[in-house]
Amino acid sequence: MLTVPYTTSYLTEHFGDDAFGTLEGYRAHGGYEAARKALTEMAPAEVIDLVKESGLQGRGGAGFGTGMKWSFMPTDGDQPKYLVCNADESEPGSYKDRILLERGGHQLLEGILIAAWATGSETTFVYVRGEYAFPAEQLSRCVAEAYAAGLLGENVLGTGFRHDVVVHRGAGAYICGEETGLLESLEGKKGQPRKKPPFPAQFGAFGMPTTVNNVETFSHVPHILRNGADWFRGFGTEKSPGTTIFGVSGHVVRPGLYELPLGTPLDEIVFEHAQGVPDGHKVKGVIPGGMSMPILPAGQLDVPMANEHLRERKTMLGTGGIMVMDERTCMVRAACVVSYFFRDESCGQCTQCREGTGWLNQIVERIERGAGAEGDLELLLDVCGKMEAKTICAFADAAAWPVQGLLRHFREDFEEHLRQGKCPFPESFEL
Amino acid sequence: MVSSEPTATISPETRSAIDVEIARYPRKRGALLSALRLVQRQHGYISPEAASELAGIFELRPVDVMEVISFYNMFHDRPGGRHHVYVCTNLPCSLRGARGLLRGLEAHLGVEPGGTTADGRITLAHEECLGACGYAPMMRVDETYHENLDEGRAKEILDALE
Amino acid sequence: MAKITVDGVEHEAKEGRTILQALDDLGLLMNGVDVPHYCWHPKLSIDGSCRLCQVEIEGVPKLQIACNTPIKDGMEIRTRTDAVREAREGVMELLLVNHPLDCPICDQAGECKLQDYAFEYGVQHSRTREPRRAAKKKVDLGPTIVFDQERCILCRRCVRFCREVPQTGEIGVFGRGDRSKIETFPGLELDNPYSMNVADICPVGALTTKDFRFKIRVWFLEDVPGVCTGCAKGCNVWLGTANNKVYRYVPRRNDAVNETWICDDGRMSYREIGSPDRLDRALVRGELGVLEVTSVEQAIARSAERLRALADAKGPGVIGAIASGHGTNEDLAAFVALLDGLGVENRGLATLEGAADDLLVQSEKAANGEGARRLGFGDATAVLDRLKGGGLEAMIVMGHDLVDARQLGGIEAFERLDTLIVLDTHHSALERVAHVVLPARHAAEKAGHFTNHDGLVQSLRPAVEPRGAAVAEAEAFDRIAAALGLGAGQGAA
Repeated sequence: MLTVPYTTSYLTEHFGDDAFGTLEGYRAHGGYEAARKALTEMAPAEVIDLVKESGLQGRGGAGFGTGMKWSFMPTDGDQPKYLVCNADESEPGSYKDRILLERGGHQLLEGILIAAWATGSETTFVYVRGEYAFPAEQLSRCVAEAYAAGLLGENVLGTGFRHDVVVHRGAGAYICGEETGLLESLEGKKGQPRKKPPFPAQFGAFGMPTTVNNVETFSHVPHILRNGADWFRGFGTEKSPGTTIFGVSGHVVRPGLYELPLGTPLDEIVFEHAQGVPDGHKVKGVIPGGMSMPILPAGQLDVPMANEHLRERKTMLGTGGIMVMDERTCMVRAACVVSYFFRDESCGQCTQCREGTGWLNQIVERIERGAGAEGDLELLLDVCGKMEAKTICAFADAAAWPVQGLLRHFREDFEEHLRQGKCPFPESFEL
Repeated sequence: MVSSEPTATISPETRSAIDVEIARYPRKRGALLSALRLVQRQHGYISPEAASELAGIFELRPVDVMEVISFYNMFHDRPGGRHHVYVCTNLPCSLRGARGLLRGLEAHLGVEPGGTTADGRITLAHEECLGACGYAPMMRVDETYHENLDEGRAKEILDALE
Repeated sequence: MAKITVDGVEHEAKEGRTILQALDDLGLLMNGVDVPHYCWHPKLSIDGSCRLCQVEIEGVPKLQIACNTPIKDGMEIRTRTDAVREAREGVMELLLVNHPLDCPICDQAGECKLQDYAFEYGVQHSRTREPRRAAKKKVDLGPTIVFDQERCILCRRCVRFCREVPQTGEIGVFGRGDRSKIETFPGLELDNPYSMNVADICPVGALTTKDFRFKIRVWFLEDVPGVCTGCAKGCNVWLGTANNKVYRYVPRRNDAVNETWICDDGRMSYREIGSPDRLDRALVRGELGVLEVTSVEQAIARSAERLRALADAKGPGVIGAIASGHGTNEDLAAFVALLDGLGVENRGLATLEGAADDLLVQSEKAANGEGARRLGFGDATAVLDRLKGGGLEAMIVMGHDLVDARQLGGIEAFERLDTLIVLDTHHSALERVAHVVLPARHAAEKAGHFTNHDGLVQSLRPAVEPRGAAVAEAEAFDRIAAALGLGAGQGAA
């Protein structure tokens, strides 16, 4: 487990210092000064404007404008308002939020405090995926330190502003990373996403107005407050400012985390930072943004890692989970792993998702076994089409896209299986 | 960690811990997942009797509690080994040999996939992505991650479990 | 009110209603405007998971589910476009991938929404080569319901019903994804007074009643509209009839009375109609003191004879009359005419009382107690006191609620009567002391009206032929009156 990403920037540059994870260590680097500035010198609306100006987009996969999201919270009425920090990180290939929890607890809390001030929220629930026991422990320690130092609780920084943080652990279900699935799970129910409208800003956690943001999204906020919107825009691209933490995995020499500006080219990340494919093998395909995002073939890796560019290649940034596969890899086996995952994790509400994920997985596994039949590939695409854009949440889309991507760029792999009646890649990773 | 004779009732210690959890949420039911985890820590799993008791505490119906138990991967509705070991077999881990590793461990322990050793020490299963993709292959032993594994090291870790 | 356009036709609908609700309010849903659906039900919470009800809305890029989209003034809705058809076909094909081909052995066939929509929107040739998902086939879910887990399409209507209507919540959806299954808590059953409604609302043959299982194919049944006779609610029902027999009641929607529900007891009360306990012949006590089978004609003649004798000898004051809430308004009106003609003032209504609930079940266990009261049959205490005090020598009694209700503590008080005329649908203890017994028609065997506890008058029409020689009480009373020379009665046969 890394203590520091291989390349760092403002989010992770101090992660090598163990003390940075303690209140004292964090304060030594100017920690909580941005929060003090926001709470004592800025009106909530000003904070929202600043974050809007910075162009910060959500880092949980959807990329929605953060300032814009905060502005959806009602400013009138006396009902309690909540923030939720989505620390459910379960997207295969994505493991960046984990290090932010383990080593950047106070950075996260400071971002949360600023957001709480901006939105008038009284409690933040940090929903940590159940399996992240150690990260949850680290964060809970930071929360206790913050309470002891008057940075949380009745009278934050002596300003009279009140804010509580509740660390809540999940229990193992990918769908709890979906905003409203998370809210259901937070409320002690099955994590089945809600129909929208109403949206969380109207009816969220426990029925109250709620804003849900990703761990990394909150973590950028203190830096924006400290250094300003222009400074933030100095990183990344015009449409996608700031840095993000890319998580590289699979067939590379140096798998690991890399904090880099958005817009860094994918091939630079894979071949320079992660030092390319080991043992003389060559890249076959790279999934750029976590397993829900369509794969890119070897010839299309010269793309800046930012949504406005990735969309042109029919994929997206997602959570920046970069999975590299070399030429030995059977893409049908990859499809088996992918489709099994989505079948397992579907919450089961919507007909198309429940039955579609099951059928896709069955077909793909049958093709891998060598029992594929003519028409199977069209059938796969057809089933994907039935699933897209017609369900309560985007899980069905997320389940369809990878299969579409694999067929788009690696149809040959599938056709070889059909032709040969077996998997033609004996060297590929084992299923 | 697991009592040898799971009783039907929730212990007073567990009940106190559940009450502490309940106080943290604006609505009681928010503490249900924590409560289930606490009960599971006591018995190793959540029996129908314990589920009924929890239903009483949370003013729910027994079937509501059972639905929640059945939805989440980490809750067990039947007894298993004293330790639960999960090898991640999602894509980044599979690319780096996770499945071969899992099969090797199954053979080493003499269990079927998802099975429990005869001495009741270990239940071994696969799991989906655990957020350790750069340190693959890896496994989770109860609440602890073991990463950058090879088969030798993995076997050592399992053999050391009581 | 909002103006909406549906497939080019303008309608007025209430703001705040969803598209499906608005279509239902207008009486158009599946009756001019087809929006097939599974999980939505007009009387349950909105689920939005089956995804079948998707429609096109002008100005909205994605299809929207009609069950959860509130209408707005000026909304243009299209239900017949290619995109909508494709979406429906998508859902249907995916449901049919795993649904077992049980139609030949499934009770639901003929009234199955999967069959109906598959016919419209399903695939002609299945494209699946995969083994179908196996699950439990014949789960004894409780005393009244059989559950086939393989047939279940997870619309979750049953789960919502149990939570929202009887509020017993015995079932839930366990698991996740395509391993989701409907189950009860281990050791608990689906057992509540409204349990059988889940079989009605289940769109497929996953939930069926044990009572109806394998009895008859529904396409042989003619559904006759009627009213349940179990209590003063008067839940509307369809009597499923064939071969001159009623095979079942299913609730008939009436938003003013029972919405779409009926209690299990009421649903099962259809069994009274064909019960072996039915009185199907007239009986008269002969010289040997034994009841003998005779013609209705004879029984009526004997009744008139004995009533005339007593009235002449001792006046109408020695005659008492007990009506029951099981007769129709027509039966009771004819009774009134007869009693008025004779000058009988000792009148009362026998009612059987029982438990009531917050939903449908009323404490008065007859359909027409209110009808009887409105025709002047009040509390029976005075009549019964007179009987016990020896002041009555003849009685005309409708039904056996009097005995069942133990308002007398037994039938001994009747033994001293010179004349006891009983009109009833079923045999009862009263026969032991009756002198004339006339077989009455069940509500399913005649036309007429019931007035329910709310004062709502509901009509009946005959669903089956009368049992044996049974006559409507109205006809019996009219003929007795005629035999007494009292002129034409008011009852309808």
